[in-house]
Amino acid sequence: MTSPIANWSPENQERANKILATYPEKRSAIMPLLYLASLEHNHASNEAMCQVAELIGITPSQVRSVSTFYTMFKQEPVGKYLVSVCTSISCHLLGGNEVFDSVSDAAGVGHNQTTEDGQISVEHVECIGACGGAPAVQVNYELIEGVTPDKARALVEWLTQTTPAVVLADEMQQLFGGQRSFDWGPAEHAGAIAPVPAFGPYGSAGGDQ
Amino acid sequence: MSWLSDLLGPLKGFLVPLRQIRKGPVTRKYPQVKRVKPQRFHGRHTLNRYPNGMEKCIGCELCAGVCPANCIYVRGKDNPPDNPVSPGERWGFVYEINMLRCIFCAMCVEACPTQAITMTHLFEMSVTNRDDAIYTRTELLVDRDGTPNYPPHEDSPLTNLEELRKGDGWMRATSPSGRREYEGIVAWTPSARTGELPAERGQSSGTPQVSEDADG
Amino acid sequence: MRSMPPSKEGRQPLSDTKNAPEMVNITINGIQHEAVAGERVIIAAEKAGEYIPRFCHHPKLDPVGKCRQCLVEVEGPRGKQLLPSCAIYVTDGMVIDTQSDVVKKAQKGVLEYLLINHPLDCPVCDKAGECPLQDQTMTHGPGESRFVEAKRKFKKPIPVSDLVLLDRERCILCDRCVRVADQIAGDPLITFNERGNQTQILTFPNEPFASYFSGNTVQVCPVGALTSTDYRFRARPWDLEITPTVSLRDTVHSNAEINTSRGRVIRVYGATNDHVNDGWLSDKDRFSFGAINSDERVTTPLRKTGTGFEEITWADAIDTVSARLGAMIGTEVGSIGGANNTNEEAYALSKFMRTVIGSPHVDAQLGDGFEPQLAAAVIPRAKIDDIDAATTILVWGPDLKERLPVLYLRVRKAVRNGANLVVVAPTRTGLDAIATHVIRYRAGSGQDVIRKLANADKSMTAILETLAEGPVVTLFGRTSIAEDPRLAESVAAYGRTLDGAKLMPLLQRANVFGALDMGLAPNLLPGRISTTDTDASSHIEETWGPLPDALGRDTAAMLSGAVSGDIRALILVGADPVRDFPDPQAAEKALEEAEFVVAIDAFVTDSSRHADIILPAALWSEVEGTVTNLEGRVQVVGAALPPKGQARSVIGMLNDIATSMGAELTSFDVSVVSKEIATVAPAYQGITRDGIVFTSSGAGIVVPSQEAEIIVEMAPRYASMAPDAVPTEASGSAVIVPAQGTQPLGYIPTDQAVPMVTDRYTLHYAPAMYDDGVITRHAPSIADLVRDPTVGLNPRDASILAVANGSIVVVDGSVELPVRIDEAVPEGSVVLPFNHAATKGLQAVPAVTVEPIRDES
Repeated sequence: MTSPIANWSPENQERANKILATYPEKRSAIMPLLYLASLEHNHASNEAMCQVAELIGITPSQVRSVSTFYTMFKQEPVGKYLVSVCTSISCHLLGGNEVFDSVSDAAGVGHNQTTEDGQISVEHVECIGACGGAPAVQVNYELIEGVTPDKARALVEWLTQTTPAVVLADEMQQLFGGQRSFDWGPAEHAGAIAPVPAFGPYGSAGGDQ
Repeated sequence: MSWLSDLLGPLKGFLVPLRQIRKGPVTRKYPQVKRVKPQRFHGRHTLNRYPNGMEKCIGCELCAGVCPANCIYVRGKDNPPDNPVSPGERWGFVYEINMLRCIFCAMCVEACPTQAITMTHLFEMSVTNRDDAIYTRTELLVDRDGTPNYPPHEDSPLTNLEELRKGDGWMRATSPSGRREYEGIVAWTPSARTGELPAERGQSSGTPQVSEDADG
Repeated sequence: MRSMPPSKEGRQPLSDTKNAPEMVNITINGIQHEAVAGERVIIAAEKAGEYIPRFCHHPKLDPVGKCRQCLVEVEGPRGKQLLPSCAIYVTDGMVIDTQSDVVKKAQKGVLEYLLINHPLDCPVCDKAGECPLQDQTMTHGPGESRFVEAKRKFKKPIPVSDLVLLDRERCILCDRCVRVADQIAGDPLITFNERGNQTQILTFPNEPFASYFSGNTVQVCPVGALTSTDYRFRARPWDLEITPTVSLRDTVHSNAEINTSRGRVIRVYGATNDHVNDGWLSDKDRFSFGAINSDERVTTPLRKTGTGFEEITWADAIDTVSARLGAMIGTEVGSIGGANNTNEEAYALSKFMRTVIGSPHVDAQLGDGFEPQLAAAVIPRAKIDDIDAATTILVWGPDLKERLPVLYLRVRKAVRNGANLVVVAPTRTGLDAIATHVIRYRAGSGQDVIRKLANADKSMTAILETLAEGPVVTLFGRTSIAEDPRLAESVAAYGRTLDGAKLMPLLQRANVFGALDMGLAPNLLPGRISTTDTDASSHIEETWGPLPDALGRDTAAMLSGAVSGDIRALILVGADPVRDFPDPQAAEKALEEAEFVVAIDAFVTDSSRHADIILPAALWSEVEGTVTNLEGRVQVVGAALPPKGQARSVIGMLNDIATSMGAELTSFDVSVVSKEIATVAPAYQGITRDGIVFTSSGAGIVVPSQEAEIIVEMAPRYASMAPDAVPTEASGSAVIVPAQGTQPLGYIPTDQAVPMVTDRYTLHYAPAMYDDGVITRHAPSIADLVRDPTVGLNPRDASILAVANGSIVVVDGSVELPVRIDEAVPEGSVVLPFNHAATKGLQAVPAVTVEPIRDES
């Protein structure tokens, strides 16, 4: 029988197998596999969910149940860069909504929408754990703290113009960030290559740590 | 003395009709002369429509369920999605009342959640055939403009379209929730023919309006 | 493959009575009660007479504590706490308060909360009137809501399958349907999607809730969120008249209730009998009632004319039948069928044939079952409850999910509770996903597997270790109609050798066990008596008069006798041999050749259209009486309606025919016939319809088998259909195989030669749940669910034949169907659906030929 993920890239197939081997019960691998499938398909598409279901021996319906519960499994296609603006209480008090408006204006799309060229998706999110450095923004889940509306606009323009292959939190923090809550220390990983969060021991920019 | 009382006894009796002659007749020349019925008279039913022409009946069978005489038969059906008969999912495609069994208690009117069935002032429903006493949708349902139908005896001098138009508003005195603070407030969905009628005055005001023309 | 792996530990037993003995003391509302340790508080309270409102709680499902409606106060170390009583278990000394002000406030609050988004469209909702949400809002809820905001809006009903509609606005997210689909049916195809206010039950796009048990979700739904398509807006609950009965779509006899309104069956609901069906029904049980209302039913007696049929009167029909049958010698008449009728009808038929006609040729099976004596009186016989108690279950027979779906649920439940399951079949079955071991064998070589098991072959070590864990319940039957019926006997014999063995015969046709018990088999008399048992049969002769001496013929022999002229008249009683007999062409020829054919049938079928006279028969829901299921449990079927048109019960028409022939048969009254059975049939001593109604409290009575030590002896083999049983006869005409001496039925030699089929392609020919059966075909809601037919082939055979998925092949020169390449098909086997319009006319032989159709161009 051919593997349901035979059309995945070889690295991702290998990762999937590693993830499956990590869990004594295959079913438990559902969430990391969904991230991996999102990486492969850009979002948790129906096809991706069916592949995960077949891989761990449950029904697609059960996978969809998990997949739709969590907002970070995207049900619709997302752009190359997912800009998430925090509008939870701390960020809201320090201008998160203005930052969101500015991002939305610069990109020309609203919440949960993607630009026509498929480059940038915008969303406002609940607390991303950067209250100390509010208002905070994430690009492909890479964090930038102390963003102002102007810098947010510049961030979007930078993303549109330079289209970096890998986005790095440190780099973006330097360019568009402001006050940080605390020093992050040396860079820990290689940044993000897709709008899918890092999971488990496997960095999202590829390559195991 | 007894012969005298024997003689006067009948004469005394004649005094009663003599006195009554003065008062005029109690009877009326029905059907030429008809009595004004109380506003909440329970007469023949109609099935109403909303002002946009949609049927109010949703075929829920609550009237049939509550009917103490078991004279109502209703069956529901899926509304055709492109050409719905009533708002919502369901419509009553069979609606029959056996008027020979009906006791005109108006429980059906009370039970109806959409005020689809109401009662009018018409009570003349004589038939020459038992089957004709079963009123179906054809007879009960008002036209799209709200005009009631009154077969099977259209030309009868007894039936009067105006009487069929009376009614519908009789429940207005009582608010649907039974709360006093809603008294006098229209809580009655408009029908094709009546539209927004003024509310009937409250029961507790002591002067119920008897002869208000429900047809507005 | 889809379902969750059964977890052996940490599960609460599904049945709260399984670990019954230990009792604890609890206090409910200040009164001391005894409760079973480990029981859910909500159940303990209900037993103590305190009803706690609930939505998500269901005694047959694992607790989830989702709806919070059952909150009660329980005293704990930190004072009284509000806890969901469906999800906590009683412990000794537990103090529970179900009536306090706090509890009442909590329950009111929860109901108000549940009603925030629940639309108040009760007048159009099918559930209104029998709706737990409605009822409990009246009893435990607040009068008014404080919420004035707009309610949640979804598209009104969306179909989740062909049979079930979903209205997400009404859903209160109690998880019952999801749990039924997952825990009970094993088809987790509906799940919660989204979250928060948007949470909704949904299927995966383009993957409908195509479960065989989808109707149960409608029944357990505590609101009107799930409704069935064929009941939608048909009636209101207060219109319905309820008739308790059992379903006759298979031999499990699931308890059900027929709901009728204005003289029509409107719906069928499951009724709870924990010994039989736990309250569940298959969709076939539930949705096949449409056939009763079918316009195609035969409603008057029909006589065959040159061009078709003409309607005649009953008097005319009875006269014709009695005159024609009366003019023949008894042994020239045979009756086929009777398995779809009640015990009383089967008894009347058996008595009619053997006394009025004087013929021993009766058979309720159509060559699709196995040895009647084994089916009727296998010892030691398993009850359905024994499946729960078994450590290991061996299933070697028809695919339970397709053929005996409610028994499949029972096996599934046992496996969920920790039992081992060994499944032996030629191809994939519904139980494979949860089986401990699956043995697949090439169709036609089952004997090889038995030999290996019996000789402890090395390849079977792991399986034998599992089978050594007793008690073992063996469910045996024919895996396919092309399989040798004697293999089932061998399986039974092997099953008997296992530790703590109990055996359950698997036949599928409605009341076939009742029919066999009533003597509708060539070698059986009523009450599980062998025709050769002279002591017992003399007891019957006291009531019946002399019995025919000749050896009875089975269906195969009767049909071949009709061709050769030995049998001149055939009576078909609800039987359709042209579709159900393994050799349809032979059956058709026999019916054409027979001098006189009477069909007692509700429809004009492929068989009854050959009949000279068709007598309209009443169907299930129109006749009352008793029926016997595969464990020997006698239960009562109820008559909810008068028979359609002029249709009658078989008892009535046979009585009339007998009277017209100058004989007396039996009473017209079912209760009286039932009493006659109780006196005549030894195994049924004391089991009467009235007795079951008044004393069995709904559970039915199991016909005693091993307890009463009813000794049944193996009668001489009757004329057998198996071609190799009479190797010298090539013509196929009936041959009476001489007696091989009598043996106690309990002993069946394992090494009895069942020949291996060694041809290139062997046939596995089994029907699916929705087949082309006469009832399914006439039931509008399920008629369209018949799957497209395919020829299942092993990938290696497919590559040898050079065919791909979807290529058309010709099987046995007659059936052209697309190929389905399936690894579950053993090499050399061909899997075809039996009783399917596409395979009509194909002979069920062990070996077939397969040829691809080559593109000519």
